[in-house]
Amino acid sequence: MRKGRGCLRSYAWSAPSLTLIALMVVFPILYTLYISLTNMSVYHWFDFSFIGLENYRRALLVFDSGFLSALLWTILWTIVNMAVQLVLAFALASLLNVKKLRLRKLYKTILMFPWAMPGYVSILLWKTGIFNSQFGLLNQWAEALGLEARRWLATDVSAFVFCTVVNLWLALPFMIMIMDGAMQSIDESCYESARLDGATRLQRAVYITIPTIRPMIAPAVIITVFTTFKQFDVVYLLTQQMGAQTGSNFHTVLTYAYENAFITNNYGYSSAISMLIFALLLLFSRLQRKEVSR
Amino acid sequence: MKRILAILLIALLALSLGGCSARKEVDASKLVIWHDKEDAVVEALSAYLAEACPGIEVTFEKKTSLTDSLKLVGNDPSAAPDMFIFAHDKVGVFAEMDILAPIEPLLAEDALANHLPMTLEAATYGGTLYQLPLYFETLLFLYNERYMLEGSVPATTEELYQYMQANTGRGRYGFVEQHSTAYYAAAWIHGFGGEIISANGEPFPDAEAVQDALAYHKKFVELMPGETEYATVNTLFLEGKADSTIGGPWMVPSAREAGISLGIAPMPVVDETGLALAPYSGVQGVHVLKFAAENKEDSVRAVLAALVEPEIGVTLALASGCAPANALCYDDAAVAEDEMVQAMRATAEIAVPMPNIPEMDVMWTVVSDLLTDVNLSGRDVQESFDDALAQAQNLIANMQ
Amino acid sequence: MKRGKLRSIASMGALNLFFIALCFVTLIPILYALSVALSAQNTLLSSDFSFIPRALTLDNFRAVFEGEDVLPWFENSMVLAAATVALSLSAAIPAAYAFSRRRFPGRKMILRWLVLLNSFPALLSMFAIYRLLRPLGLVNTRLGLILVYTGTMSVFSLWNLKGYFDTVPVEIEEAARMDGASDVGVVWRIVLPLARPSLIVTALMVLIYVWNEYIYATTFMTGETNYTLAAGLYGLQATETSGSWPVFAAASLLVSLPVLVIFLLCQKYMTSGLTAGGVKG
Repeated sequence: MRKGRGCLRSYAWSAPSLTLIALMVVFPILYTLYISLTNMSVYHWFDFSFIGLENYRRALLVFDSGFLSALLWTILWTIVNMAVQLVLAFALASLLNVKKLRLRKLYKTILMFPWAMPGYVSILLWKTGIFNSQFGLLNQWAEALGLEARRWLATDVSAFVFCTVVNLWLALPFMIMIMDGAMQSIDESCYESARLDGATRLQRAVYITIPTIRPMIAPAVIITVFTTFKQFDVVYLLTQQMGAQTGSNFHTVLTYAYENAFITNNYGYSSAISMLIFALLLLFSRLQRKEVSR
Repeated sequence: MKRILAILLIALLALSLGGCSARKEVDASKLVIWHDKEDAVVEALSAYLAEACPGIEVTFEKKTSLTDSLKLVGNDPSAAPDMFIFAHDKVGVFAEMDILAPIEPLLAEDALANHLPMTLEAATYGGTLYQLPLYFETLLFLYNERYMLEGSVPATTEELYQYMQANTGRGRYGFVEQHSTAYYAAAWIHGFGGEIISANGEPFPDAEAVQDALAYHKKFVELMPGETEYATVNTLFLEGKADSTIGGPWMVPSAREAGISLGIAPMPVVDETGLALAPYSGVQGVHVLKFAAENKEDSVRAVLAALVEPEIGVTLALASGCAPANALCYDDAAVAEDEMVQAMRATAEIAVPMPNIPEMDVMWTVVSDLLTDVNLSGRDVQESFDDALAQAQNLIANMQ
Repeated sequence: MKRGKLRSIASMGALNLFFIALCFVTLIPILYALSVALSAQNTLLSSDFSFIPRALTLDNFRAVFEGEDVLPWFENSMVLAAATVALSLSAAIPAAYAFSRRRFPGRKMILRWLVLLNSFPALLSMFAIYRLLRPLGLVNTRLGLILVYTGTMSVFSLWNLKGYFDTVPVEIEEAARMDGASDVGVVWRIVLPLARPSLIVTALMVLIYVWNEYIYATTFMTGETNYTLAAGLYGLQATETSGSWPVFAAASLLVSLPVLVIFLLCQKYMTSGLTAGGVKG
């Protein structure tokens, strides 16, 4: 009896949040699923009808060699970005927490700057200000050093590397803040007793900091993994934007699907592809299952 | 503290609810027009309409990514505008969506008798006119008179190439353009007699011509910067680092502001084919959504009737260098003297109106990819073309 | 002893140097924007760029205020951000507490699926959300946007807060309960102060998301005066044919300032009640 009421109360407490999620997160997925079973497109805008799995049959054809290479690039992209991001953010957050660092607040605020701008603004700044072959800072510096000017985003590998740099620049502030917030929550006395036991800095990090902040940062990290996987803006705006392409063929799953399906304005077909990509993501997430179900 | 938060929250919600005066009742004397145009154009239009249609309250709302929004809202009266101003190339998409009202029934008979045939043709889809043309724009061959002297303005593409060879290097360029952008490269494809898409929706109907154009164009690209976007090309020309360019009328005000003594020349002729580089032309005009045509017919008629008149064309031409769609405007002395407007009118003779069929929507991306492959990734023309053709056919098939 | 002190001064010096260098590297694109915004030439690009422009001017910053509807945009952004943060926290705190402390059927499943569902690419959600808002009459209203933003950030808020609540020892709560505190009292007086850093982190995350979001804002709102800062700014650069780069750069810098100020102010509260010593022992 008491247990039943406790359950009810738990549901009541979570209801507002779950309702919002149901509306804005779950509903779009179900709606996309529904549209994916219809022939809704520019030609059947008002009078669309149910056509079963036809869109999925066609959508599977998108999964060609181009898609496969985009998928591999995306996985590599996710792994590299997450690894570098976690290591750097941990190192920087630890350094920011060195006790005697007086100007900590100033540094933190400045390091947050990339996050305080809309993403398209910063990407535009990078693209025209840094990488542009005629005017960009990189080429101006290269010339000053007597090196040859070049097109920095022109090849697959260089585009991958520089997209990673920009993505890190954009994403690190958030990760640093999450880690920093978690580190602030660690009870100082844990460190003191460890210090008394003669633990080195590294040992303290490995045996105290990491295990303590792990559960705190896990949600943010998992969500960032997905965000990185479905990253669109950085890659698209930097190298693939129509009318401003750079010649690299580095695509993520989403930019590839965009160019090869979404632009058709066939909503049924595009929805089917979205659902398939979503299924892929779910598959991908099995790799992290342990973490998620903790 | 929690109470304060709660009060704050409720206040904000009430505020945001109150702030939304939903247009529920149809008020036929109010018209909302979406647009994405420069301020000068909109100011001229709105001042003109205020005078010409005193009983009607016309509101111009600037809408970023206008076409995407329209694809979302259709002609839902609670979210969509009554009319919108945009280029003619999306007419097919919106006509297929069945949200556009045919224009001719809303006009007096013979009202369009003086409009340039090219503009009407551009705005017609499936035999029906869906846009009232206001003005049009085409690309122009622009040069900096300080560097490119009168006698050296190239009449043919080979002359242009020789000029580029002689004047490119050490951070200077003889000629720049947005070489890997479909809108610009179309001029070269047309110069070889090719097409990006045929009137019945077949991509690259003349494959040979497109490949020849790509192969020939490539040597020009090699003498241009590796960037193809507007900012780079525009800046090079404005800084006086590029002697000539192909650009739209929108470049002219900034070039004059930058103190460049601007020359406008006819498009060079391709030696091999004897055809001039023929750019796309875009006809800007007013579209009427079905809901407005049915429920606010009188106001819509009044506004359209005012916009057919040559006065507004003249005003726009003088305000921002638009080339009017109404031929009578060119009789005006001030318009006749405007070098740029006249140049556009001359180019309009050879310019190809952008295709307005829905299939063109995907071709922008296909051609961009193709140009990037050939010009920037250095891939083989034939191979890239075959890929692009397959991609185009696939995308077009998947539109249905 | 003295040697140790010297060494510590030296290492602090090195650390400070490191951070100064790092801050500089981080700021390069932003200094670039600043220099463009301060320069009198109308170009984002220049082949002889230097961080200190030759002809300094504040005209571009003035132009932002004079030429655009910046103040209504600012007001819209503020209202949306404040309302979304308030709504997000009020919805997420009780839910996160329930998910952290209580055990009820479906708890694990919901938690796992929330993250997975949240991974759905938002590129196509737009259409569905429009279909949802239209019958409710919420298209082109602030409330509509607030609901969209809150919903979008809900999974993050819930998960992030739950992660922190998990680390607050249950024993502390039990002591309070012995003293007769209600559930609400426990959350309000014990859990929230202890989890303060996570509250701030979550609030900041929501705030910055709303502040920088432009796709929903440009799609669902019409009329220039209804735009948010990010959406208005997007419009400024989207019309590149008529746009002025220095004004755009100046506007982007102005947009990020309020966020930085808020961030700086929040830092004071970033330390947890735990380290403040309130509940030690």
